[in-house]
Amino acid sequence: MLVSLMIMSYATPGFSQAKKPTIMVVPSDVWCNQNGYMKAFNNQGTIEKVPDYKRAFQENSDLLAMISKINGLMADRGFPLKNMESVVKTLESESAENAMLSSKNGGGITESPIDKLKKTAKADIIMQLTFEVLKVGPKKSVRFTLQGIDAYTDKEIATAQGTGNQSFSADVAVLLEEAIIDKIDNFNIGLQRHFDDLFANGREIIVRVKKFDTWAGDLEKEYNGEELGTLIENWMKANTVKGRFSTSESTENMLLFEQVRIPLYDSSGNAIDARGFARNLQKFLSAAPFSIVNKLMTKGLGQAVIVLGDK
Amino acid sequence: MKKTILSSLLLFLFIAGLSIKSNAQAHAKKKADEQTEAWRYEIEVAGTGVQGSYLVKVWSYSKRPAVAIEQAKKNAVHGVIFKGFPGKTGVAGKPPLTTNVNVEEEKKEFFTDFFADGGKYMKFVSLTTDGSIAAEDRMKVGKEYKIGVLVSVNVALLRKDLEEAGILKSLNAGF
Repeated sequence: MLVSLMIMSYATPGFSQAKKPTIMVVPSDVWCNQNGYMKAFNNQGTIEKVPDYKRAFQENSDLLAMISKINGLMADRGFPLKNMESVVKTLESESAENAMLSSKNGGGITESPIDKLKKTAKADIIMQLTFEVLKVGPKKSVRFTLQGIDAYTDKEIATAQGTGNQSFSADVAVLLEEAIIDKIDNFNIGLQRHFDDLFANGREIIVRVKKFDTWAGDLEKEYNGEELGTLIENWMKANTVKGRFSTSESTENMLLFEQVRIPLYDSSGNAIDARGFARNLQKFLSAAPFSIVNKLMTKGLGQAVIVLGDK
Repeated sequence: MKKTILSSLLLFLFIAGLSIKSNAQAHAKKKADEQTEAWRYEIEVAGTGVQGSYLVKVWSYSKRPAVAIEQAKKNAVHGVIFKGFPGKTGVAGKPPLTTNVNVEEEKKEFFTDFFADGGKYMKFVSLTTDGSIAAEDRMKVGKEYKIGVLVSVNVALLRKDLEEAGILKSLNAGF
């Protein structure tokens, strides 16, 4: 009896914990642009503007107070957030350390261009914050928008927005604080709905299959009378929750699977994410009859890319 | 002798009067509880409460104003858990704390104790205007009074309590 209970506790997903998504509050591009926190760069002849988060955090105390308030309220709900300002600082110090680090034999840290590209402040769910103080004569009010965006599927999973009451006397800081207190619960209800859906129907991820140009094969290559692309789709059907996924793009060179619902736990009850799921597809492609050498790359909990033909 | 009979009669009438009043009060209270269960109250947002609280105005019905005023506290907590309330200009409305429409039936035993007189619900009522009802918040509708009371509900504490009791699911449940 005791032994069977112990076996059940290992095998039943209920005893395991799903991988917790990370959440981070990020000032929106609109807010950065309206408040002059943008930097321009020349992208092959086209001048492009991108948010200058570092300067925004250093110069705008309202932004700091808003993010701190949201972080505090979310921590109260048992969901502490990643602090973007600290993430930006950590990335900078890590870059400096990597540049200075060398082994006793003079070796440096290996960093590919893709590693460098991926070194940005990121989270599984972005809470995009926009706020604006509106003034009509002596009266002030705050327009506030908080959007919860799934970083992988780009879906807006929770939202809270509205304009507060006009006030003659209240300080802007008080109006901003009031706006958060008023809206955060509605935001969290959307977030809870998203988590409920995640537990009921699985985590939604994106899977891409690509090929290196050095590989002679492609996704139209036939194995036992079926094209490789179709065989991959069949594998997806068999391994997703209720066979739910959409093949958004399919060519001889690439496949894009969106709205892929993966189980939160594998067959042994361990929590999995996009990497765990795609690793099984990687093994499927590495095995006979395909025996295709391939490279797996992931982005957070929800995006996986398999590139066929090389490592 | 006559004096003794008269005093006894007066004492009897006094006790009987008190008993009738107490019975009527108890009857009104019971009816008010039934009305709460039958969702016969109105709840509206009154402003943005301090952090972790909702400020609502609750309209309750009773033939006795005192009963309606007291019932407002129970209705406020009941409304925050099961009903939610719409917003108005400048203040957002709030959906109910529970998203399970059957939770009241499924956890009947818990909620019977929770909303009993002197029950735990009072722990979450922070402030009310029960001592000073504005004239426009006291209305006579037919034979009943409809009375509006401002109530501040400590929703952070209430949510935590219901999460610990297994009534609500916490935001990080399962992770």
